[in-house]
Formats: sequence, C-alpha cells, structure tokens
Amino acid sequence: MPHPASGGAQFLQHTRKIIRFTRKGCTNRPFYHIVVMESFRDQQDPVIEQVGTYDPLPNQHNEKLVSLNLERIRHWVGNGADVSTPVAQLLGLCGFFPIHPRSYMTAWRNRRAQAPSENNSSS
Amino acid sequence: MALNMARVWCRCSSYCIKKNNFPNVGVNFLHLSRSVAGYERDPAPLFFSPDVQRIMRKMTKVDVKKVFRSRKLGEKLDAPEYKFLTSEELEQYMKETEKKVEERLQVPPIVKEREEINEVLSVDRALTGYDSAKFVFTDITFGVPNKDRIIVVREPDGTLRKAFWNERFRMNQIYFPEPDRQLRTPHMFEEPYLTNVLDRGEYEFVLDRACVQYEPNDPEYYRVTSTTYDHIEKEQMFDALQSTRHFGALAFYLCWNKQIDNFVLYYIQNDRIEDAVMLIQLFHLLNPESKSAETDSKDALKFIQAYISKDSSRKSVLEIALQSFLELQKQRQFVEEGIKKAHGM
Repeated sequence: MPHPASGGAQFLQHTRKIIRFTRKGCTNRPFYHIVVMESFRDQQDPVIEQVGTYDPLPNQHNEKLVSLNLERIRHWVGNGADVSTPVAQLLGLCGFFPIHPRSYMTAWRNRRAQAPSENNSSS
Repeated sequence: MALNMARVWCRCSSYCIKKNNFPNVGVNFLHLSRSVAGYERDPAPLFFSPDVQRIMRKMTKVDVKKVFRSRKLGEKLDAPEYKFLTSEELEQYMKETEKKVEERLQVPPIVKEREEINEVLSVDRALTGYDSAKFVFTDITFGVPNKDRIIVVREPDGTLRKAFWNERFRMNQIYFPEPDRQLRTPHMFEEPYLTNVLDRGEYEFVLDRACVQYEPNDPEYYRVTSTTYDHIEKEQMFDALQSTRHFGALAFYLCWNKQIDNFVLYYIQNDRIEDAVMLIQLFHLLNPESKSAETDSKDALKFIQAYISKDSSRKSVLEIALQSFLELQKQRQFVEEGIKKAHGM
C-alpha cells in the first residue's frame, strides 16, 4: 500500500521537480495542497507527494492555517526541487526560508494602499 | 526537571506583566492566578511516588461489578456471553480481569499547571500589512508527538512567535484529532451548565470527559476537576467515585489542600475507621510538615485522635463523631455479649 502522502505519480530521476500549490476545494472555496510534482505537469495531474496544505480563507479566529511537512520539504529541496513563489512566500513567513522579496513588496503596497485612505478620512 | 519547574513558577507569578505585552492572550490567564495558589508546590513527584500510589489504589476499593458495569455512553451494548469453564480456566480469566481492572483504575496524573508560551522568534516590521489575518504554521512531520510539534504564528504586524497553548490545542486537534476530544470546549464545562451537571451528581461523567478533553497540565482541567471535587466534598458524596479511577485523585486533591475534615467525618459516621486511617496517612505523606505527621500510633483510634486534635479545623464536630462512634461500639459489644449469654455460650 502506498504512503498516504504519495500522490501516485511516476517518479522519474532526471526531470525537474517543483514544490507548488494545487487547487482543491470547490467553486468559491479555494483550498490548496502543497505538493511535489514535475514542473511541466498540469496542476491537476497526479503528484509525486503531498507535503502540506494551505487554507487561504481565515477561520473564525482570523487565522489562515498552513501545514507543512518540513522533514519532506527539506528532503525535496535538498534534492534540487524548485519552490514556486507562493510556496516560497509561505516558507519565508514561517521562518523556514528567508523572507521572500515579494512578501516585502506586497506588505509595502498594502501599507501604501491603506495610507491615503486614512489621510482622506482624517481631512 | 526541578529547574524547569522553578522557571514555571517564576513565569506564573509575573503573569500580569506578560499579559500587557500580549493583549490577545487574556483567555489563557483567566484561571491561572487562582489555581497556582492551589499548587504552589509541584504535586507530580509526590503523586508518582510508590507510597502515595499504593494508598490511593487501596482507598479506591475495587468493586468489579462497578468497574465493568455497562455505561450509557451511546455505544452499542454487547450481549453477555456464558461459558463453561474448568476451575483453572476460571482462575486465568480472573487474573486477566484483574489486569484489566488495574488498567481501568489508573489514577489520572496530577501535575503542575503549564505556563503560557510567550516566545517571540523574530520581529520583522517590514512585513506589517502583508495580510490582515494571522498565519498559523504547523509542522506535520510524521512521528512527532503533539507536545513537541513545531507550531508558529506570523502576526499581521510581522512578529513571528511560537503558538500559544490554545492555538496549539486547536492545531493538534485539527491535524491529528484525538478521538472524542472536541475542537471547541463542550458547553458542559462552562459555568451555569457545569454546576447544573454537578447538582445532578454526574461526577464520574464530568471527570471522565475532562480527562478526554484536556491535558493533565491544562489550567482548565484544574478548574473543572477542582470544582467537581469541591462539590463532592460539600455534598459529602464521596461514595459516588468509589471504585472509579478518580477516587485516588479526589483523595489526593483534598489532602493536598488540607480539607479532609468532611471526608474523615463521613468515614467515622459510616464506621469506616480503616479508610479514615488511610486517608490521614495520605494526608501525612502529602503534608510532612503537619503537626500530627509525627504520630506513630498503631492504634487506629489514637491515630485519628491525634489528627483531630492537632491538624483538624473542625475539632469539635469530629470529636463528637468519634465519641458517638465509641459509644456505639460499646453498645454493640454489650448487645453481642447479651446475645451470647442468652444463647448460653
């Protein structure tokens, strides 16, 4: 019996692997699996292994839940797997990777977008 | 371990300051100050010592019928099985049953309350405004026990910190659910309902469920169990827990907090002098500094008398109970002798 995290895809040694999101959930309710798959495959193709989940909708405590199998991520990154930008941002936020530059950009843009509205309301 | 416990105590005593630093953790501190007062010393080393375990086990008074009775827990009941057995087979079955009894009557551990986790890993103000929600990251690496799992939170202001206990509880329960444990606290443990359940005398139900729902070092576990034990003590319903796993814990709690007078009174009034002696022995083990701990009397009545005169806070009531017990004994003896005489023995 395969391991529960195994996605059933064929593992080929010399293809490029990527750690990326695949969208699960349904219409208007996104939910992502963080998976290892060959980088040229389609998003909904069978994956090599699932290494985490990401729920982008905040729960009642205003939390976005991310689960990461850090041991397996370490393994795949060590074996030369690429990491997609959204996943790299999450790994940066959790302190596993350095903070991704795009995270700083997003934060800065969000702050800038918020600033003029505050000025308008005060004036 | 001792060092760790010392640190625990320091942190708990200065919790007000920490509360100001982290305004959103107020919920966790609700009961901390109260229950820390109940466990200033660490009960764990005493609780796990073989002497205390032996006395607690002895006090529980096994009634196999009560241990294995069918309980209405919403499960399907099995029809009883009848078998023909030789006496050796029967003996073997009895031995197996004894083992099962030991398992079922393990007293739930009494340990010191945990302290809140307030560890900031990094503060990156450049990330302020990245998202309006917190990010909670859980490491789901295979084979890591719940208490060692890495769980961290990135706050909207860019702070990366370790998760608080309530967050850890939720994440562990979401990704690695324990059977019968609920993600939200059952309403039963909230105040108007808890008193209601206790007034109906469902002590074992409450304590069993608290064992399932909470970790033994959870402040909420302390609150629920101590409320239950206090209620039992107030209502004198000590027999409700007899031959359940909670009886030892009840005795331990009452001895630890030096409120066994009602318990002793109950035993004396019910002619259970041996049990009263065991209870006072447990009291002495847990409070070696008490005045009557020195008494080494073999006579049960003198032993109890020493406790009453030196450590009891309800001396008069206990004295009267003991006297009436003695008189009752005398009368019984008198009647027995009379009967013997009447029978010409």
